[in-house]
Amino acid sequence: MTTVTTHARFRDLVAAEWIKLWSLRSTRWLLGLGVLALIGLSVRGSASTYADWPTYTPRERAGYDPMTEILDSATAALLMIGAGSVGALTIVGEYATGLIRPTLAAVPTRHRVAAAKLTLVAGVMLAFGALVVLVSFAASQAILSGRGLDVSFADPGVLRVLAADTLLAPIAALAGMGLGALLRHTAATVVAVCAVLVVVPSFFKPTVYQWVNDLYATVPLYVWRNCLSQLHPRVNDALPTPSGSWAVFVLWPLIAALLTLFAVHRRDV
Amino acid sequence: MPDLARGGMPCPSDRRNLDHVIEVNGLTKRYGDVLAVKDLTFSVRPGHVTGFLGPNGAGKSTTLRMILGLNRPTSGTATVAGRPFTAVGTGLRHVGALLDANDVHGGRSAAAHLSALARTNCLPKRRVGEVLDEVGLAGVARRRVGGFSLGMRQRLGIAAALLGDPPVLLFDEPVNGLDPEGVRWVRDLFRSLAAEGRTVLVSSHLMSEMEHTADHLVVIGRGELIAQESVAEFAARGTGALVSVRTPAATELARVLTHAGASVAPDGAGALSVTGMSAARIGEVAFGRGIVLHELATRTASLEQAFMELTADRVEYLAGERR
Repeated sequence: MTTVTTHARFRDLVAAEWIKLWSLRSTRWLLGLGVLALIGLSVRGSASTYADWPTYTPRERAGYDPMTEILDSATAALLMIGAGSVGALTIVGEYATGLIRPTLAAVPTRHRVAAAKLTLVAGVMLAFGALVVLVSFAASQAILSGRGLDVSFADPGVLRVLAADTLLAPIAALAGMGLGALLRHTAATVVAVCAVLVVVPSFFKPTVYQWVNDLYATVPLYVWRNCLSQLHPRVNDALPTPSGSWAVFVLWPLIAALLTLFAVHRRDV
Repeated sequence: MPDLARGGMPCPSDRRNLDHVIEVNGLTKRYGDVLAVKDLTFSVRPGHVTGFLGPNGAGKSTTLRMILGLNRPTSGTATVAGRPFTAVGTGLRHVGALLDANDVHGGRSAAAHLSALARTNCLPKRRVGEVLDEVGLAGVARRRVGGFSLGMRQRLGIAAALLGDPPVLLFDEPVNGLDPEGVRWVRDLFRSLAAEGRTVLVSSHLMSEMEHTADHLVVIGRGELIAQESVAEFAARGTGALVSVRTPAATELARVLTHAGASVAPDGAGALSVTGMSAARIGEVAFGRGIVLHELATRTASLEQAFMELTADRVEYLAGERR
């Protein structure tokens, strides 16, 4: 009996996932239109701020945060639903069609397949997020500079907001993948992605109960909205802290990745 | 078998085990209350086409999935070349499998589907074109699989199984949906793969299909092993030769033949099927009584018959009433 075991290199597994992702028309459309829509919405928002600025009250001017032109609550929700769906479909697409069987028969060391999928989706969505955020940032800066509202990379908080905005896409995508690996059903997964990432957190408002605030502060969209997306986050016990928020941004994708690895490894297909 | 790594990407070399045997040992799979596979033990050797037979729901697909490590056995083991398949990194180079032709994403082209699979096993891209050519799908390589007929999907599944030029091949009901030309092609393909020294296991619920393809048979029913032997041995288990007779005096002939010791069953209007008596003897008896015969033909004992008799009490889904 021989014990020689050969493995394809990990980057070949990632390359195979790349082929699978881009050979689907739906992915190309979703990501392509997503980039255009999100940048377009950012440009539109910046242009309307530019036009309306003379009518802003001093109080409104003082409270204005130019970074919200990149992503606001609505476009962030849109981004998370889109990215979450792409992440979910990369894995549910295999389970729902049965393709997972040939895939795992070709690479019986399953955790490597799951790891390659996670790596590719994280990478692609990070690039997607970076593209949207940097182009939107450049465009909004160009428009807002006409009113002297532009900021520079060196200003405190600017890099943090840019990083947080960029990370929303990969975080949502990996969370979507985790949900997909658990549910393995297309419609159920998309509903779960929308509910968990966007719909439920949109009802969260700071309350007088600290334990409820602490619970809310474990949800990515909530900590993004109430802390990481703001140039100057307010300091208040009821609101999430930057360090706590970053921990959420790290733990969600990490837990989602572990769930995916575990589910793919354990379950019969 | 060509060396695939050569001329392609610089990939880790692949050592082939000379003994490509599939060994199934005490394999058992339980789904809740249902015992799908029960203490199954058999082995499949290289150089032959082995038919894996059983009625619907006998546990064939579950067994194949356990061999491929897709389903975890409740107990027992299944090994390919002496080790569990789940330990293998490049599955396509060791076992090529077609489990279900519909296990594809309809949104992808045939070429993209195969390219992704090939890449996971470090196989050169030209293999995709080669196998598409081999199964006759080269002309539709760029078309989305969603528009493929079942027969085309079967061909695509066979292409995927051949991709890694593996020493062991598993096919689950590969003939479904193929046209007559396709059926003949697939039989020749299986035989030539076996002739090259590969291990070929083909499942089917139709004995007639195996009659023309397999050398050996593994027959299961209700998850249990019924027989493991050569096709010739298996056929010998069936009731002996059957003779069909057509005559305008069917009733009289039936009475006479029964009297002479044959067992006779009506087989439509003016036709009888007779067992336990040779065609020559039937002709003599009929001549002696002055009975006119329109047809007298020996039908060899069919595998189908042997199969039906053996599995009669182990059919999971019986039309009409449940046993």
